[in-house]
Amino acid sequence: MNTVFKALADPTRRKVLELLRQRPMSAGELSDHFAVSKPTMSAHFAVLREAGLIDAAKQGATITYRLKLSVLEDALLGFAQVFGIGAAPSEKTELQEGKSQ
Amino acid sequence: MKQIVSALILSAAFLALAWGLRYAASIDMLSDETAKRAVMVLIGLGLAAYSNFTPKQIGRPGSPRAEALKQGLLRVSGWSMVLGGLAYAAIWAFAPIGIANPVAMAAVATALVVTLGYAIRTMAACRTIAAL
Repeated sequence: MNTVFKALADPTRRKVLELLRQRPMSAGELSDHFAVSKPTMSAHFAVLREAGLIDAAKQGATITYRLKLSVLEDALLGFAQVFGIGAAPSEKTELQEGKSQ
Repeated sequence: MKQIVSALILSAAFLALAWGLRYAASIDMLSDETAKRAVMVLIGLGLAAYSNFTPKQIGRPGSPRAEALKQGLLRVSGWSMVLGGLAYAAIWAFAPIGIANPVAMAAVATALVVTLGYAIRTMAACRTIAAL
């Protein structure tokens, strides 16, 4: 559950989940919505995958991500969005911290 | 296999708890009404807990449109059954005993109707995609 809270604490990752609510998307389609580098986005996807919130399916050279939220996780995502949890911290710093652990 | 085992363990736990509450009622530790309410609340919470994982059953990837439809169906059915289960538990916990059964059944029936209605709508949409 700790990994779920960690994943939902970041606004970029929440935005990824919001986008995947519409339909499954490839890594490239998702990255186009953000002004961050591909390695940073890959790190975000890894955190979401580790928390079991998304599923990755590889088809040829394309990785397609699908939403895999339970109802409780969906509700937590909604609460985090409404209350803007974790809106301030720098994403790069957080990801670097995660890698160093 | 893991799902079947966990479902069997959950069922066994429910039966054991129901038996325990019945026994407590038979030796006057609890009133019959309290025992009945407790069992029904547990059933409602069990339904909610089980339905919570419905949207995670995404299966194998299909076409993007079919995936979007499937995702929508899993989310709607998960949410409706969780809310139905929680409503069932709350009604059995707080409603007068005389009306608890029909009202709680109506709450779960509504959740089922929503799920089935959305499933029929999704199947119709899938047929439309297949026909194109």
